[in-house]
Amino acid sequence: MTTLRTITERGVRMLPIKQSTRIAWAASLGLSLLLLSLPWLVRLDGHSHADWQQFLGRFHPLAVHLPIGLLVLVPLLEVVGALRPALREAAGFVLALAFASCLVALSLGFLLAYGSGDSGAGVSRHLWGGVVLTIVVLICLLARPQWHAKGVGYAYPTLLACMLIALVWTADQGGSLTHGNNYLTQYMPAGMKRVLAFGTTPSASFYARHIHPILDANCSSCHGEGQAKGGLRMDSYELLMKGGKDGAVIVAGNSGKSVLFQRITLPPDHKQFMPAEGRPPLQPEEIRWIKAWIDQGASQTVAKLDGITIREELPEAPIVPVGDYSSLMPEIQKMALGQGAKLKQVSAKPSDGLVLFTVDAASTFDDAQLAQFQKFAPYIVEAELDRTALTDACFDTLKQFTNLRALHLEETKITGSGLAKLASLSHLSYLNLSGTQVTAASAASLNSIKSLRHVYLYNTPAQPAPAATRASQPATPAVEAAQPKEKSAQ
Amino acid sequence: MKQHPLCTDTEHVTNVLDLAIPAQVKQEWAELQTRRHFLGRAGKVLGWAAAASLLNNRALRGDNYSAAGAPGGDSLKFPNFAPRAKRAIYLFMSGGPSQVDLWDYKPNLAAQFDKDLPDSVRGSQQLTGMTTSQARFPVAPSHWAFKRYGESGTWVSDLMPNMGRIVDDLTIIKSTNTEAINHEPAIMLMNTGNMNAGKPCLGSWLAYGLGSMNDNLPTFMVLQTKLNTDENNQPVSSRLWSSGFLSSEYAGVGLRSAGDPVLYLSDPNGVDREVRRKMLDAVNEINRQTYEELGDPETNSRIAQYEMAYRMQSSVPELADLSKEPQSTWDLYGPDARVPGTFAYNCLMARRLAERGVRFTQVYKRGWDMHDNVTKILPIICRETDRGCYALITDLKQRGMLDDTLVIWAGEFGRTVYSQGGLTPDNYGRDHHPRCYTTWMAGGGVRPGITYGETDDYSYNVVKDPVTVRDFNATILHCLGIDHNKLTYKFQGLDQKLTGPVPASVVSGLLA
Repeated sequence: MTTLRTITERGVRMLPIKQSTRIAWAASLGLSLLLLSLPWLVRLDGHSHADWQQFLGRFHPLAVHLPIGLLVLVPLLEVVGALRPALREAAGFVLALAFASCLVALSLGFLLAYGSGDSGAGVSRHLWGGVVLTIVVLICLLARPQWHAKGVGYAYPTLLACMLIALVWTADQGGSLTHGNNYLTQYMPAGMKRVLAFGTTPSASFYARHIHPILDANCSSCHGEGQAKGGLRMDSYELLMKGGKDGAVIVAGNSGKSVLFQRITLPPDHKQFMPAEGRPPLQPEEIRWIKAWIDQGASQTVAKLDGITIREELPEAPIVPVGDYSSLMPEIQKMALGQGAKLKQVSAKPSDGLVLFTVDAASTFDDAQLAQFQKFAPYIVEAELDRTALTDACFDTLKQFTNLRALHLEETKITGSGLAKLASLSHLSYLNLSGTQVTAASAASLNSIKSLRHVYLYNTPAQPAPAATRASQPATPAVEAAQPKEKSAQ
Repeated sequence: MKQHPLCTDTEHVTNVLDLAIPAQVKQEWAELQTRRHFLGRAGKVLGWAAAASLLNNRALRGDNYSAAGAPGGDSLKFPNFAPRAKRAIYLFMSGGPSQVDLWDYKPNLAAQFDKDLPDSVRGSQQLTGMTTSQARFPVAPSHWAFKRYGESGTWVSDLMPNMGRIVDDLTIIKSTNTEAINHEPAIMLMNTGNMNAGKPCLGSWLAYGLGSMNDNLPTFMVLQTKLNTDENNQPVSSRLWSSGFLSSEYAGVGLRSAGDPVLYLSDPNGVDREVRRKMLDAVNEINRQTYEELGDPETNSRIAQYEMAYRMQSSVPELADLSKEPQSTWDLYGPDARVPGTFAYNCLMARRLAERGVRFTQVYKRGWDMHDNVTKILPIICRETDRGCYALITDLKQRGMLDDTLVIWAGEFGRTVYSQGGLTPDNYGRDHHPRCYTTWMAGGGVRPGITYGETDDYSYNVVKDPVTVRDFNATILHCLGIDHNKLTYKFQGLDQKLTGPVPASVVSGLLA
């Protein structure tokens, strides 16, 4: 107590202030100490507690955004306040409000962690961040009147800067708990990732390439470094195999007895289903990989599993939403009622794009008619132009179909001289040139289209029809011979 | 002007600007008023928007989510999501193909020859009247050997050497199971999702939901294979491709297996196309008057069908003209394909229909109902179908059509592992078996080269990953971009759907 007293007295000597202010400082000091000792007063023991605590606690993610917004606003008000004094006056109020909401958010957060039995390094980091931030805000609140009265001094601005840093760090920790560590960087452009050196070079084992990424994306936000619900961590092979407080979750060689596999294959509405709390279930493919991996020994090093072939070199391009074409809808609908070429929506979701059908006008549909579809070009994802009167000139129009994924040109007069123009179609994955005059030489230009997955040259000079295949003899691989990167990927 | 109840802020109030007060005060007032109005109105708008979103917004809009009413109206409802397959070809094996002899390899059965099927396997199952009085149920192992094929190493019976070559393209389901044990209810259940007649079949639901991809051929076509009297045939009839309570324009249109593909499609002598057109116009006019008088939507269906028939007068002869098919086609499908009405011909026809934008083609092959004499009949029917199935898949694949075409091969049930009637080393019979049977799919949306589901050592019960008929149908709809719970039609007070009222689920393990 003597230390406390000395500090208080020194504070009083340094700052010649009124009695009320002194009380405020003393009260603040007491509160700060209380906050600092909170993690020891009530330990996070990793067990879940009363339901009411969880109920209230779950409002933490909701409440926490209020102080964040207010705290960002304070420095802004102070700075802009140099020009508009009225704004600076508001800053004091906003800061006080921020402090109050900090206290609320901190209490709710603590209830959440304690109530739901969260523990782990991430949770404690976030908790400490919250405590420190609240204290810094409190000091800001105390320091501000002096700074304001004198209008000079660096203490308060420095405190504000510290507050901002603490805020960003704490918020980031909290975000990682909710969404997982790689949430922000997951979709970072590959080039940017390389520059910033995110992610490490993947090892060649099946676990490293396929199992770990699944667990990382779906499980590690609750079972990782940040939180370790049920004492289980899945962010490394050793920790995964070690299991949680109820024992191992993986029984090598027996997926049926592995708790991990049991829990991910329950009906999604089951209480014990994982990933929990309404997070999306694993993909059937991922479940299949996990099953095969466990059944075949759950090894960290094995590179290949029996019965599992993964076409990872050539992933199908994800569907890219097309732009808004609602203004063209009347025209599209009118077209659909008449005879002839028409556009139809891929699905009820307009952003899935349009398909161009020409089957009813095939013999008369020529390059000039295709050119009339230019204004729809960016919205067309598939063009069925087979058996039309199109010639090589069509590629000048087609190269503007920038969202095109599938292109049918079978049985047309194409010779392939303009195929290289398709190189601008960065989403093109399917191209059917069967029954055209395309030669091996002109088809070679397709190799520059990186997105192409399915190329068909059946019955063309590039790939003549197989002469007299007898059903009783082994068939020659008739498809896709001219496209070495195609790996029967349908 | 009648005031909208939500817009209370436009009530008439005394306008300060009209009062006799200094202009400066007016100006001040105008500024205040603007801000107040803005804030006040914004507050109200936000409040109502929040209220609207809190209340069920469907209730506010007052619309019905079911697809009642003709699709292709104001807003497109189907496909619900981007489909993997645009069209489907369904090879229906009527009679119940024997999974024991074709797909479901059980090497251990050889040692069980003529031993009684353990009671524990059959359990309390009620059998058909044909075998229920049998004194014993002797196990009849398959007469044929099996071989492993493809990268997937799938076991396929020697009866189907050509199918063996494409197993890596197939998605084989060994755990299909049905609730019906006799042909009529089972085949209705498979096709319409209900054992009783009167419900729309899969093809009609697809036609209703997805509509046509072309103007000149029907959305849903049915090809029947010529009767082979060496086999044991069960009748099929148009009830299987009926549109049930849906508009009759969604019913399947059959192509005949002999003579004119469509009866009375050709103009009679002395009637040219122009006369036909005039006649149709007159008939349509009369039909329209009838519609205006009575308002029966079936009248509109009739007009649409007359028009379709008129267009089919030119599209069907072109479809049936195989003279332009190159030699490689005949090499692939075999010599049978030249004879109209054979299974191979129908497979070729199914490919031609798919090329011409037909959404759904169903090929019926009868003759799989082998209660006796399996060793004689089964090779005949396998010879008849093995090449056609192989050729269809291979042809679709080489032409790049397998990417967006779903091919389905299924019967209404399987056959028993025990022999019906006498069992000899050379011959046996097999009764109907609903508890497990093998089906396969290939192409758009399904995962190639896998076998899904497992049966017990007697190919009698499903032990892993059962696929019910409704799951099977839900999965087919899924491949075509349809959520089976959303494809509904209000009839008799219910939102009717193909998969029926019992919960069904898409079999995600089958999907690519």
